[in-house]
Amino acid sequence: MEKVDIDFAVGLNAYETVEEIVGKCVEAERLGLDYVWIGDSPPHLYCPSVAAAVASRTKKIRIGLGLLSPLLHTPDQISGSIISLTEAFGDRFEICLGVGDRSQLSRVGVDTKLARVWDHMLKAKRKIARSLSACGVATKIWLGAQGPRMLAASKSFDGVLMNYASPRMIKWAIDKVKPDAQKDFDFGIYAPSYVYRKWRPQAYRLLRIASAVVALGAPTAVLDEFGLGKRLQRAMEEHEAGAKIESVVKRVPSEVVYSFSIYTPSSKLRNYLRELGGLGISHIVFGFPQNLSKVTIRDLANALPNR
Amino acid sequence: MNCIWIREALNTQRDIFTVTSIILLETSRIKVGIGITSPLVRNISTIARAAATLSQIGRGRFRLGLGVGGLQSLVRLGLDAARPSALMRDAATLLKRIWRGETVTFTSDRFCLSNYYARYKAGFATPIYFGVRGPRLLALAGEIADGVILSGPKRYMKKTVAAVDQGLRRRRRCMKSFRFIVWVPTVIVEKKSDLYLAREAVATVLADTPEAVLEMADIAQERVKPIKAIMAEKGVKRASRLVAEDLLDEVAIYGSPEQVALDLRSLEKYGVDETIFGPPYGREPAKAVREMTEAWKRSI
Repeated sequence: MEKVDIDFAVGLNAYETVEEIVGKCVEAERLGLDYVWIGDSPPHLYCPSVAAAVASRTKKIRIGLGLLSPLLHTPDQISGSIISLTEAFGDRFEICLGVGDRSQLSRVGVDTKLARVWDHMLKAKRKIARSLSACGVATKIWLGAQGPRMLAASKSFDGVLMNYASPRMIKWAIDKVKPDAQKDFDFGIYAPSYVYRKWRPQAYRLLRIASAVVALGAPTAVLDEFGLGKRLQRAMEEHEAGAKIESVVKRVPSEVVYSFSIYTPSSKLRNYLRELGGLGISHIVFGFPQNLSKVTIRDLANALPNR
Repeated sequence: MNCIWIREALNTQRDIFTVTSIILLETSRIKVGIGITSPLVRNISTIARAAATLSQIGRGRFRLGLGVGGLQSLVRLGLDAARPSALMRDAATLLKRIWRGETVTFTSDRFCLSNYYARYKAGFATPIYFGVRGPRLLALAGEIADGVILSGPKRYMKKTVAAVDQGLRRRRRCMKSFRFIVWVPTVIVEKKSDLYLAREAVATVLADTPEAVLEMADIAQERVKPIKAIMAEKGVKRASRLVAEDLLDEVAIYGSPEQVALDLRSLEKYGVDETIFGPPYGREPAKAVREMTEAWKRSI
């Protein structure tokens, strides 16, 4: 197997106990993964504190915080967390900014329908970078992006984490960003994932839900570009009418699910990685439900090259 | 020592919840509290989950201090501290509901939650201590908080027990289940010139002290007004020059380590359960804290 120049990460949703999350991160480090990403969302535990717990029990694995929403946390709070973590545990942290899960943010009173939200992200990034630099902290700042405007904004960041998995969509996004991007700009993806050795129906069901949630929140420009808008129409109508997600998911066609997620038996993962490597992807975060258990994390790690 | 309290300073480049989690991770027995954070500076759901995370990390050693915030900091950030009683009542009630795992819908001019519920399990109980000062807020603390962190002139502290007791009685709560914690600026004075540290701390405290508290402490507003004005205009160094001896004695504790320990012990007569050695400690803060701790142990 040839070497693939990609960093591999597992994304963790912080709704389990701190102890359980730390246990999975210790396992991810033992298995040789390069990164863990700790998610941040209003119904979950507080990401910077979970990151501190993870850093205190691991030695070298890099720790991503995010997606952190500047609509929920001020730039000072975000930079303050990173400075505090770096002082205590060294240069092991990166952050990804982004709007965040609009439905969860609206439940806690955050207005996500801001005009020119990408400008808000840019301003936050600049303020965070200034504060970090004033304290001598050099932390990579990614932007989580899907649509054309956020992709355009990502050029002012250190890298972009795209929220889809289909090579066709990834190529489209890279073509939009690459011509104006800095030389050391990184392209990555962060997608719902299920790489399996032994297929488990529960994990597959969760993958469909996670992927449907991402697809339903995708910008119209992206859905229309790839002819997915019409296919999602019924699901969207049900979703907007407040139907339960389990019922909405049934209306989401499988090809839409697969466009937004990494779903493959472990034996075929390398072909997919080779294709992404060829496109210029240097960072892959395998999101929920790959983090379901230490077994699913192990299945992923064993399927990766360079282990 | 049985507790470390971390004060949120909004003008520093550190995040209080992250710093506190690091301290909890580095210690094993001591309690660690945030004293205080304000529900005006973070979304209430963020305070709830950050506190729950810290309680898990500390396995029940974490304490949450909650207050409106320092008047000067709030003004600087353009935050409105009007109707503090409603703010504190709503904040504490929402935190408890979220930690109980309820689905919460609540709207006020400060908070807006709609069908919100935590997906994490709180796991360990997080006690809430109110860092408040006025009589109404103290009574509210007696009603709904687990304790109160007091700061201000000593004569005022004498009267706070009665104010809190009102709230406790209203809810038929037992005084024993409620903790009175006193935060005092403390300075080990080796040379007379070290007193400038105490004066600066007192100027800072007085500039932030509401009129109702000054009234409770029988301190005339006219004596504090110039300190506030100079503080806002020219900063703490200049303001500290206006701190008279009696105000210094009334607000700070200073002297040799033995004197400081003795003075802190004397607060017990007001019904205080815990005393916080507050900054600035002394010219060499680490050395001063060590000396104070030793003197405190000897005084037991």
